[in-house]
Amino acid sequence: MSEMESAPAAPAKIPGMDEKLLEERARETSSARRDVLFDVADLTVSYSGVPALKNVSLEIYKNYVTAFIGPSGCGKSTFIRCFNRMNDLIPTASVEGRILYHGIDLYGPEVDSVEVRKRIGMVFQKPNPFPKSIYDNVAFGPRVLGWKKNLAERVERALQQAALWDEVKNRLKDSAYSLSGGQQQRLCIARCLAVEPDVLLMDEPASALDPISTTAIEDLMHELKKDYTIVIVTHNMQQAARVADMTAFFSVDVDEEQDRRTGILVEYDQTPTIFTKPGDKRTEDYVTGRFG
Amino acid sequence: MRVTLQEELDQLEAALQEEGAHVLRALRGALNALLQSDVELADEVIAFDDEIDGAYLAIEEGIQSLLARQTPVAVDLRLVLAILHNNLHLERMADYCVTIAKLTKLVKDVPPDETILEGFEEMGQRAEEMIRIALDSFRDRNAARAESLVDLDELIDRANRRVVGHVLSLGADPSLQEWGLRMIIVSRCLERIGDHAVDIGEQTAYLVSGEFREFTDASHGPGTTPRDLR
Repeated sequence: MSEMESAPAAPAKIPGMDEKLLEERARETSSARRDVLFDVADLTVSYSGVPALKNVSLEIYKNYVTAFIGPSGCGKSTFIRCFNRMNDLIPTASVEGRILYHGIDLYGPEVDSVEVRKRIGMVFQKPNPFPKSIYDNVAFGPRVLGWKKNLAERVERALQQAALWDEVKNRLKDSAYSLSGGQQQRLCIARCLAVEPDVLLMDEPASALDPISTTAIEDLMHELKKDYTIVIVTHNMQQAARVADMTAFFSVDVDEEQDRRTGILVEYDQTPTIFTKPGDKRTEDYVTGRFG
Repeated sequence: MRVTLQEELDQLEAALQEEGAHVLRALRGALNALLQSDVELADEVIAFDDEIDGAYLAIEEGIQSLLARQTPVAVDLRLVLAILHNNLHLERMADYCVTIAKLTKLVKDVPPDETILEGFEEMGQRAEEMIRIALDSFRDRNAARAESLVDLDELIDRANRRVVGHVLSLGADPSLQEWGLRMIIVSRCLERIGDHAVDIGEQTAYLVSGEFREFTDASHGPGTTPRDLR
């Protein structure tokens, strides 16, 4: 630095900045403050005995948006489906390892998979409303659960949380199919929220939507994470960069001899780290578009 | 492989190196004009700055366009940010060359002082060497060589102090006061060029490591990171 500036100076004391307070702040923002919601240990998912995803361990934090990115076939969709036991519905699928949810083994014998799916809702790539009215789509879940009290308020609240209320409040009896794709996707989110879940899993929720609807969904995720924990699979890396607090990069391990492709977790870190200084060369190659 | 992005990054980096070569020319011209009291050459140095400003603006525009269209991330993002900073550092160096050239024109009637001219020759050579090392280590992604600029900067700082000391030792001769003040500014310009070379070195370290760090910090001692200051 310059000659003038290199003269010995007293340690900087900025008025109003207490060093102890600064240290405390730094601790608060560090990982110690994160509440672990899902604790995944050594998870392997196989279809007909062939591993599709191998030895994944990571923690999902409460009120965070966590994104899974990676090339096709890396197992990220397989992985997100483990969080609400959707793979149970595939007869040939088997899950080894452990997922703790609030410290409880999600795959434990006493755990009811229907209860799991109530607490851990899922939104899919293509909006899949029921062939019913807008109102009935949202009211369906609470009715199934026998929550008859204040149903109209519950539906309104869910639609408001999904940022759809203002657009549909005067046409609740119209068919859900009369909505645009982006509106239908927000309706599906409202349908999840109506049963008061804890977690929202989103498997490429915006990939079938136009840019304006995509922005609406991304803004919505930002709002919803105050009350919910969100896990999202996305092909769109910039979407992960925009919405996620944590990002996990999955890749494919190719075994040429056995002609097998297995998904693996390469790197999991805070999103800014993944997109500014990833720790693994494979992550860097993928996010910079030099993959393959 | 994102071919277009890579091509644009290569072009920006080549343009930065070219701008650096221009700055070296401007510095050599400014030094020769100063040491030989060559007013015409000083005018050429001043005029040449337009070319460097043009190169600076072209890089700025290139970066703006690339950021808007290509959304670079990871090492690509770090490279773009480093080029953005280095571009400004080089442009500032060129401005110091212009200041030296303008001062040369102002002191042309004063008899040259051998001690000071020798000091300037030494500082000039050191500044040139520092610019070369800054540009080469950036091109080679050589963080260790970039950090060696700190030691070279100390030498140019010392030479600056010698020149200032000599000017002050000339006493209170009113006919020399204005001249002496201008010589101190010339010395300061050369010393600042060294500082900007160190700053380019810091960008190399950032590009390689992803960590923001000042090699030396005037107020907190060596090795201080922005994280420590938070």
